[in-house]
Amino acid sequence: MIEREIIVSNKAGIHARPAALLVKTASKFDSDVFFSCDGTEVNAKSIMSVMMLAAAMGSAVKIKIEGSDEEEAMNALIALFESKFNEE
Amino acid sequence: MDDVIYKSDGDNIRLVEKMRVRKFFEDLRDKMHFELIVDAGFDQRYFNQRDLHRPGLALAGFVELFTHEKIQILGNTENYYLLSLSEEDRKKSLDKVFQFPMPCIIITNSNKVLPEMKTLCQKHNVPLLVTNFSSTDAIHLISAYLDEVFAPEISMHGSMVDVYGIGMLLTGKSGIGKSEIALDLVERGHRLVADDTVKISRLSETILMARGHDTLKHFIEIRGVGILDVREMFGIRAVRLQKRLEVQVDLQLWDGKEEYERLGLDEEMVDILDVRIPSIKLPIYPGKNITVIAEAIALNLLLKIYGYDAAKEFSAKLMQEIQNKDTKSKKSNIYLERDFE
Repeated sequence: MIEREIIVSNKAGIHARPAALLVKTASKFDSDVFFSCDGTEVNAKSIMSVMMLAAAMGSAVKIKIEGSDEEEAMNALIALFESKFNEE
Repeated sequence: MDDVIYKSDGDNIRLVEKMRVRKFFEDLRDKMHFELIVDAGFDQRYFNQRDLHRPGLALAGFVELFTHEKIQILGNTENYYLLSLSEEDRKKSLDKVFQFPMPCIIITNSNKVLPEMKTLCQKHNVPLLVTNFSSTDAIHLISAYLDEVFAPEISMHGSMVDVYGIGMLLTGKSGIGKSEIALDLVERGHRLVADDTVKISRLSETILMARGHDTLKHFIEIRGVGILDVREMFGIRAVRLQKRLEVQVDLQLWDGKEEYERLGLDEEMVDILDVRIPSIKLPIYPGKNITVIAEAIALNLLLKIYGYDAAKEFSAKLMQEIQNKDTKSKKSNIYLERDFE
């Protein structure tokens, strides 16, 4: 299992479209992926759960991944956060 | 030769190239109260134009750009104009117009047929009809008929069902269960338009009309069972002859690698006969109730037509929540601290 924390850096936070991107990316991997924010942990492959986090800019999101392809999954998700989901 | 000559425009699209004037007359005789004055040329004459023409300027002598290949409508104006001329001038005017081949002349308002007109029609093999409708009404009714005749048509493989008033075309590979879903929808009170082969025609720039094949009627094939007659089994309320096509639901076997829509913020569209309609890619697997999902698709589309878009509403609420997160969560925490429900 690997864990990493990342700060949400896009202005609008994790609203519907970034959430959809995160879920689509997480779903590509066999590993179990979880996000947690403000003490709430959710399954990263469920769109409603990820949107429920309502993570604003500056929030810290902890990514927890467990499975055969955890490294690749982590890299892909971190890259997505760092790209600011193609937003401001 | 047939009454209607078709041409194919590639891509399986069928267009009417031309239509025999006799067929036009017979189709509209009752609706238009046509009185047949001259039937010469009825079988030989074809026309290929969906528009009608009032030959006022041509009668006045200006025959440049005279669209003589259209059906000609002679209303009150044309009639009074001809009557106002001297016999000699009238003959000149009509002779000039009759140099051109015309598919058919229709006199409106039950105006009296001029004897010269009748003679010329017989001589030049131009069918002559009279209707009691006014020019405006006649043009309106005939145009509606011609629009339908000349509408491009395409045949698609799928099942067409009216779900809560939304015309839904179920498509997908053979054997994926389109007919079964259609049957299930009929069971729940929806109406079957066509199964297996659906004929779709473009009635206007934005309207597609779907209907079944004449021989297939409301018969449906269910694998392992055979042919069923939905109309006989479920009664007249379970079927309809045609329905505007409003959404395509494309059934696909579940594929973990394929990306499916998760939010519904972006509507995927498909072009059918150059008309754009929403298209929903629906993954199916055992245990998933497609019928209920089909109903939900129809209801959600109705909500959108009435101005409510669930995905947009949710997205906007979420945005707002993210922006006010700090203040709001503190407030609700204070409230919830005292909630022992």
